[in-house]
Amino acid sequence: MPPAIHPVDLIEILRQHRLTPAIVFLTSRRACDEAIDTFAHSSARMSSQRSEAIREFLEKFTKDFPSITHHPLIPVVQEFGVAAHHAGHLPSWKIAIEELMRQGLLDAVFATTTLAAGVDFPARTVVITQSSVRKSQDFTDLTNSEIQQLAGRGGRRGKDLVGVVVITPSPYIDLHILGKGLTGYPEPIDSQFVVSYPMVLNLLKAHSLDQIEGLLAKSFAQFQLNQRSGIHQDHLDQIKEQLMPYGPRECADWITQWKGFDLARRRKAHRHPIVTNDTPFLTACLPFLTPGRLIGLPKGPAIILRQYRSRGTFAPMLSVIRAKGTLGECPAHSVTQVYDRVFEFQPSRTIPWCQPQVLSQLKKELSQLPTRLPTVPILPEIQETDDPLLAEILTEEFPCPTCPSHSACKKDFPLASKLRQKSQQLTKTIQALRDGLWHRFQQKADVLHKFGYITASSQLTADGEWARLIRINHSLLITELIRMDAFSGIAPGLLAGIMASISHDDDRPGSYMRLPSGLATMLTQVRAVADSLSPYEPPPLLRSDVAALVESWIGNPQLTWASLVRSTSMAEGDVYRLLARTLEFLSQIYGLKITHPGLADTAHSAMVTMRREVLQELP
Amino acid sequence: MHFDDLKHELQSLPVKYLHHMARGRIHRHFRLGKHRLVEIMLAFPPDQILAIETELQQILTTRQERLAAQEARAAARPQKPASPFQSKNRQMKGKPNFDHSQPSITLQEILKGIGVPEPQPFVPDPWQTEAVEHLAHSDVIVSAPTGSGKTYVAIQAIKQAMTLNQTVIYTSPLKALSNTKFMEFSQLFGPDQVGILTGDRRDNAQAPLLVMTTEILRNLFYDAASGEIDLRLHTLGLVILDESQYLADPERGVVWEETIILCPSQARLLLLSASIGNPQDLAEWLQAIRPIPCHLIRHAKRSVPLRGLYLHPTGQLVPLLKNQDILQGKGYTFHPDTRQLFTEYEIKPFR
Repeated sequence: MPPAIHPVDLIEILRQHRLTPAIVFLTSRRACDEAIDTFAHSSARMSSQRSEAIREFLEKFTKDFPSITHHPLIPVVQEFGVAAHHAGHLPSWKIAIEELMRQGLLDAVFATTTLAAGVDFPARTVVITQSSVRKSQDFTDLTNSEIQQLAGRGGRRGKDLVGVVVITPSPYIDLHILGKGLTGYPEPIDSQFVVSYPMVLNLLKAHSLDQIEGLLAKSFAQFQLNQRSGIHQDHLDQIKEQLMPYGPRECADWITQWKGFDLARRRKAHRHPIVTNDTPFLTACLPFLTPGRLIGLPKGPAIILRQYRSRGTFAPMLSVIRAKGTLGECPAHSVTQVYDRVFEFQPSRTIPWCQPQVLSQLKKELSQLPTRLPTVPILPEIQETDDPLLAEILTEEFPCPTCPSHSACKKDFPLASKLRQKSQQLTKTIQALRDGLWHRFQQKADVLHKFGYITASSQLTADGEWARLIRINHSLLITELIRMDAFSGIAPGLLAGIMASISHDDDRPGSYMRLPSGLATMLTQVRAVADSLSPYEPPPLLRSDVAALVESWIGNPQLTWASLVRSTSMAEGDVYRLLARTLEFLSQIYGLKITHPGLADTAHSAMVTMRREVLQELP
Repeated sequence: MHFDDLKHELQSLPVKYLHHMARGRIHRHFRLGKHRLVEIMLAFPPDQILAIETELQQILTTRQERLAAQEARAAARPQKPASPFQSKNRQMKGKPNFDHSQPSITLQEILKGIGVPEPQPFVPDPWQTEAVEHLAHSDVIVSAPTGSGKTYVAIQAIKQAMTLNQTVIYTSPLKALSNTKFMEFSQLFGPDQVGILTGDRRDNAQAPLLVMTTEILRNLFYDAASGEIDLRLHTLGLVILDESQYLADPERGVVWEETIILCPSQARLLLLSASIGNPQDLAEWLQAIRPIPCHLIRHAKRSVPLRGLYLHPTGQLVPLLKNQDILQGKGYTFHPDTRQLFTEYEIKPFR
C-alpha cells in the first residue's frame, strides 16, 4: 500500500464520483508543485471544450497581467484542469486561479493550508491529507477553527446541494484530530495585546496619562485579564471565608505570632538532634559523676562504679556500691549530693565493674565516712541562645508558651497558615493581573524617555513628534538609525535594501548573492545598532541576501523580473511579498517628508523605481 | 429484580460502577466496554446475579445520596447572573448515544445528494435581516461559518448607512482582500462611491464608502485623536471589520483591539467573524466599553450541509462517519469501514 494516494488517481476518483471541483490541501508548497508535475505524463486530460475555455480565459487575463504570460504551469492547467495555489506564486497567478475556479473551469487546485485564511475560494469538495501543519520549526496539530476553515471551503452556496470533505491518509495524519475538528466547537479566541513603541508615542500625543490608563483598561486584553482575576477573586473569597474561624485570639495576629514561635522551636530542635530530657542541673552534674566519686543518694551515701545510659529512654544511669556493700543501679537524677571525694580504682567492663578486692575496700571506706563532707559546687549552665531570632522570640514576654489559647493555636496553625499563604498569593496574582497592562505601558514609556523621545513629564519631544509616524515593526531601530544620521546621502537602492532586511522576518533559507561593499558595511552598522537595542526590542533577522536582492532591483532599473527571480532561490511569490513589504516600510519613511525632506526624497525615488513590471501590475 | 429491569439499571449506570462490580468477577474487565460488561454480567449464573443485584442496590443508594448532597451544595452556592449573550444550544455537549442497532450510512446514500440545486430566488436568512435591523440602534457582532453570507449583511448595512448620508469604512486584514472588495463594491455602488486606502494605494479618498486595511484605519484614528483630521470622522456612521477573528492573531491582533477602542462612539461597529468559541466574550466586552448596546448574532449552521468521505490510498471510497451529515457539537463516530481501513493503514503504511 503506498503511503499516500497518487494525485492523478485522486483526481480521477473525484471526477468519477462527480466530486469536482475540489481543493486539495497538501503539507508543503513543494508537495503542491510536485503533484502538478505528476500530471504531465498522465492521461487524465479534460474535454477539449473546457481546455479551450481555460485557454481563452488565460489569454484575456494575461493582457491585464502580463507577468504570468510564460508561467511554467500554464500548459498543465490548460490540458488537465488542475493547478497549484500557494504563497510561493505571484498574486496575479493566484488571482487567475481563483477566477478560473469561480467560473468552474478547473477540476482541482492543490493548495497549502495558508489558502484557507481569508481568500474567498469555494469548491464542491475539500480534500484533507494532514492533521498537522508546520509552524516555525515543528509540526503542530490543526486546531478546530483551522479544520473548520478548511472544511468551510467545501460546498458553494447556490451551486451545490451538499459540500463534501474527503479525508485521505498520508503519513501526517491523525484521524481523530480531524474528526474532533470537523464536529467540535471552535476554540475561544484570546487577546494578543502587546504594547509597542509607536502605540505609546501616538497615545501620548493625544491623551494624558490618566486617559491612557482608561484606554488600556478598555482593551479586550484587560477584559480577559479581569475575567481571569474574577475567578481568582472568587477563590480568594472562599479562602477568606474559610479563614473566618481563625480570627484574632489572645493576640490580634496569632498566625504570625505562632509562626515565629514555631520557627524558633524548630530551629532549636534542629541544633540538638539528639533529644535528651536532662535538666540543666543534671547536664552540669554529669561530668562529675565518674567512677570512684562519692555521692549522696536519698538512702545514704554511695560510690559510683560506672556511668551509663539506659537502653530505652537514654536516661543517664549510675551503678553504685552502697554503705551496706550492696551493688545497685540508680538514675542520675536521683543524686542529691556530689561530694568532693574520689576513690581511685581500676574500673572493669564486667560486673561488679571493678576487682572484687576493690569492692570490699570501697565498702570499708564507705563505713568510715565522716559526717560532714565538702560538696562540689555545681553551677547549672544557662542555655546560650546565640540565634538572635531565638533570643528575641523566646524571651520571658513571648506570650505563646503560657497563652491560654496555646493548644488551640498549636492545633489550627498548619491549616490556618496554609490558607493565609494562599490568600496572600492570590491577592498578589489579582493585583498583577489588574495592573499588568499599565505596567507594560510604563516600561515602554520609560525606555522612550531614556532614548529621549518623551520628556520626564510624558510629553513628546521633537524627536518623538516624527518618530510616532513610523508605525511598523522594529520602529525603535529605524528611528534610532534616522537619528544617528545613518542614512544621510544614502543611495535609494541601499536604503531599500536595508529596509528589506529589517522587514523580512521569514527564516526560509534563500540563496546568497554577491553583496555590494556599500551594503555590507551599512548592514554591519545596522546590526551593531540592532544588537545594542536588543534589551528593548528584539532584533530583526537582518538577512543580507534579501537586502542584496532588493538593492539590485532598485539599483539597476533595467533588471527584469525574470532575471531577478532567476538570481535567487526564493520563490517568486516570496520575492513579491518582500518587495511589497519593503514598499510599505519605505512609504512610512516617506511620511517624514516635513522633518526629514532629504531622506523622504530618497525613499520616494526608491518607491518609484521599485514600482515596475510585476509590482505595477496589481493595483 | 426482573431481568429487563436489571439490564436497564446496569446500562444507565456510569461505566466506572460497572467496572467496580466486575472486579474479581470478570477477567480483564478493564478492557471491556459498557455493553460487553453488561452482557457478560447478565449471563452470570443466578447466585452471582443475586450478588450483583445487592451490590447494585448499595451503589444506587449511595449514589443518590451523593447526588442529593451535590445538588444541595449547588443550590447553596450564589448564582452568577447569566450573560445575555450565552446561547442555549451550547448546553448539549458530549457524544450522543448513537443507536447501535441503526445501520451505518452507505456510500450510495452520501453520493446521492451531490449535485447542483435548482436556481432559487435569493431570500435572506432571518439572522441576516436581524443583523441589519439591529444595526440601526446597536453594534452588531456576527459569528458565522465561512460562506454563510456575511458579505450580504455588510452590503445591506452599507446601503442602509449610505441612505443616511453617513461615511462607511470597511476593513479587511489583507491587501489582496481589500482590492477584491474594492472591485466588488465599485460594481455594486458605482465607482465614484467607493474609495480605497492601503499602504501604498490611495484612490478616491473622499468617497462615502472607504475600503482599507485595518492598520490604515488604526493610523487614521491615531491621527484624528492628535488633531490632524484626515477624514470626516464626524460623519462616520459605520465601521465594518471583516474577519475580526484576526483579533487573536499573535502579531496583528493588537491592531483590531486598538481600532475598536479608538472607534468614535457615534459610529456603529459591525464585526464579521468566522465561527469562534467565545463570541459572547467579545460582545460583553463591546457592551462594557462602548456607550451603545451590542447585539450578538451567532449562526453555527452551514448554509450547505457538509458530508464526509474517506479515500483509502488503494482508491476505495467509503463514508467517513456513521451518520450522514457532519454536524457541529454532536460528537462523531467513524464509519466501521473507515475504521477498519485506517487501522490497516496505520499498521502497515509503507509496503
